[in-house]
Amino acid sequence: MKTTLPALLLGLAALSASAQVVDQPAPKPAPAPAQSSGGGNGGGGNNNANSQSSFLGKDVPFFDPDNETVTWDGKSWNVTNNRVFQARFEKYLNAPAEDDAKAAEYDALLDQIRNLLRPRNVNPKTLDEAFSLLPKASEYRRDAGLCDTISNQVYAAWQAQQDRARMAAATDALATERDRLNHNKVVTLESASFSTGGSSKADQNKDSVASRANNERLNAEIQPYDLRIIEVNALMKATQAKRALKELQAKIEFQSLIVQLFLQRRFQHVLIATGFYRNVFNDGDDEVQVKGSAKDLFDKSTGMPPTVSTVDAMAGEVIRDVAEGVDAYNYLIERNELDSATKRLSESFLIGEYLPPIRTLSRDKKRVSLSYAQKGNQLVNAIEVKDYALAEKLVHEMEGLAKDFDSSKPMAAIQTSKTIAAMHLAKAQNAAVAGDHATLETELQAATEIWPRNPQLADVAGMVFSQGNVQNKALVDFDQLLGQKNYRQIFDDQGRFIAAVAFDEKRKAQLTEVMNNMRVIETAIGTAQQREKIGDPAGAWESAEQAFAKYPTDPKLNELRADLTTKAADFVRALRRAEELEKRGQPGSSLAWFLKAQQEYPNSDFAREGIERITKQILPDAT
Amino acid sequence: MARRSRSSFQPQWLIAGGIALVALFAAGSYFFNQASDPYRTAAPLVVATYLENSNSLRGNTYRVQGEVLNVLGYSPSEGRLISVGVDATNDIVPVLIPSELGHRDIEKGQKFIFLLEVTDQGILRAKDLTKA
Repeated sequence: MKTTLPALLLGLAALSASAQVVDQPAPKPAPAPAQSSGGGNGGGGNNNANSQSSFLGKDVPFFDPDNETVTWDGKSWNVTNNRVFQARFEKYLNAPAEDDAKAAEYDALLDQIRNLLRPRNVNPKTLDEAFSLLPKASEYRRDAGLCDTISNQVYAAWQAQQDRARMAAATDALATERDRLNHNKVVTLESASFSTGGSSKADQNKDSVASRANNERLNAEIQPYDLRIIEVNALMKATQAKRALKELQAKIEFQSLIVQLFLQRRFQHVLIATGFYRNVFNDGDDEVQVKGSAKDLFDKSTGMPPTVSTVDAMAGEVIRDVAEGVDAYNYLIERNELDSATKRLSESFLIGEYLPPIRTLSRDKKRVSLSYAQKGNQLVNAIEVKDYALAEKLVHEMEGLAKDFDSSKPMAAIQTSKTIAAMHLAKAQNAAVAGDHATLETELQAATEIWPRNPQLADVAGMVFSQGNVQNKALVDFDQLLGQKNYRQIFDDQGRFIAAVAFDEKRKAQLTEVMNNMRVIETAIGTAQQREKIGDPAGAWESAEQAFAKYPTDPKLNELRADLTTKAADFVRALRRAEELEKRGQPGSSLAWFLKAQQEYPNSDFAREGIERITKQILPDAT
Repeated sequence: MARRSRSSFQPQWLIAGGIALVALFAAGSYFFNQASDPYRTAAPLVVATYLENSNSLRGNTYRVQGEVLNVLGYSPSEGRLISVGVDATNDIVPVLIPSELGHRDIEKGQKFIFLLEVTDQGILRAKDLTKA
């Protein structure tokens, strides 16, 4: 039982701490000392359904010590991760110790009551004395009126017992009445038999008619007795049944109070209540009348049907266990093993929140583990909301605070989540580069779900989206410049456009063509500039002009061409005049001008081509 | 003191005689050339006008003296198209030597006097030529 007791109690404590919502069992509801509202955090219970469930019939939580989870009404949550518990524990660590005179008086008073009720001490006098101390104990704030509730329950049980005595007297009276009726019936029958005896056979025949009349009269006299006897018997049975029911009801009410106090972790009061119970109901039958899940709760924890003695023993065990837990806390604090110390104190607090060792622990001692407990709670919350950066920071801080803190578990969770998030981000970046918007969206969403507050998430998303904007703008600009045939601008910004059209085959081909054209223009410009440098303005002009014929919109080429036109004015004028006359159908003069241009610049391609062209025109069959 | 002779040689006479001799030579040369140019009756081609608008000269016959610079093309039926550097203006004009004159020996660097007709397309077509 010792090994399963903490598990049972943790489950009960969780119920009490997170959702003390079970129905109060009649007749006098005990004022709950820790009436917290709402269901448990992290998967809590269904209050509506719970409030409608029968007391101890169902919806009783079951604690699984393997993973510290409580299962209640089909839902599970971790006891130590319970937000309400965490809040209460922190509040407790900050609260001053209840070590004043009044608290000591109260504890002494409860001890006195328990002593009076011990089997070796109890007698009618001590029972009355203990009963008289209950109202006094209930005056203390820490008692929360529970002693009054016990007092009322004891009084109600005594009243029930007095009723039972009265019913026994009524049953006796009914038995007396039944005996009297039986006697009267017998007397009546005997007197009737006497008056009809000693007559002859002739008389018998003569009186047969009269005899039948006498029998009918006798039956009429006896019948009321029979009816009354039946009535009295029925009344006796009814009274006996009522008496038994009254006793059972009183027992169940008392047991309900004991179990309720147990669930509320008021173990001192449990001991007091069981002490009174054993003396009020001293018939030896102390089996606790619980059913369903509540019965399972005790059955599975203790391995036997629940009895008042079982509950009493468990309460005593808890009181001892809490005292041991507080001692262990003090020892571990001295050794700077803050993690274990805080766990032991939280376990003891969870079980014995209202027990003296917990209430009287000094604030200074409690505050040693306050910061650690707060960080522990923050760590749980940070992991719960997937803020792994904060979680990691807290883990390192806790490592610094407690030398026995085992960081492997939280760090494994943190690092795993971080790694997976990073992988998703990497995939998202690759998808962004590849222009795969569907994958980009999916991977970003996955990364966000795993680590919503990942600082890299904003950077990557911003980078991806800005990249998208830049890319889109570059594509729009490219289309506009292409439409304007402003290849020079495209050429000057080629770095931006090459990146933007990398995955757009059509634009990529267009850009390639533009780049090729621009290479031709740039080559022509370079050649022209080179020729100009060596004093060949006509040759320079011709290089520029050849490129200009194909790319007349390039501003840089235009500028150079205009400049060179002035520097090779005679040559250019001769060519222009030749071309003009050629167009006007004067091949003779045109040819003369081409010859003149060639005279100016013998290497001129334009002049040579013009001469050949006109010659061909004049001599179509020239060889 | 001895008296100088009045009949002594005068240098002015020598200069005047030289000038007269040169003038006589020039005049002789001029008249000789005139006498050797068979097309001296034809008007010389005004190259500037031709270059500006050959249409205005269509149908006219002109005389041009110049050096054969290049053969631009040859057609058995049409003849040869040559470029001629005009002596007078240093311009270059194309001249079509029709096949009728194909037997004439025309080589690059030779100087000729051409009798030219301006055709409908403004082409200078040689009617005759002679070495200058």
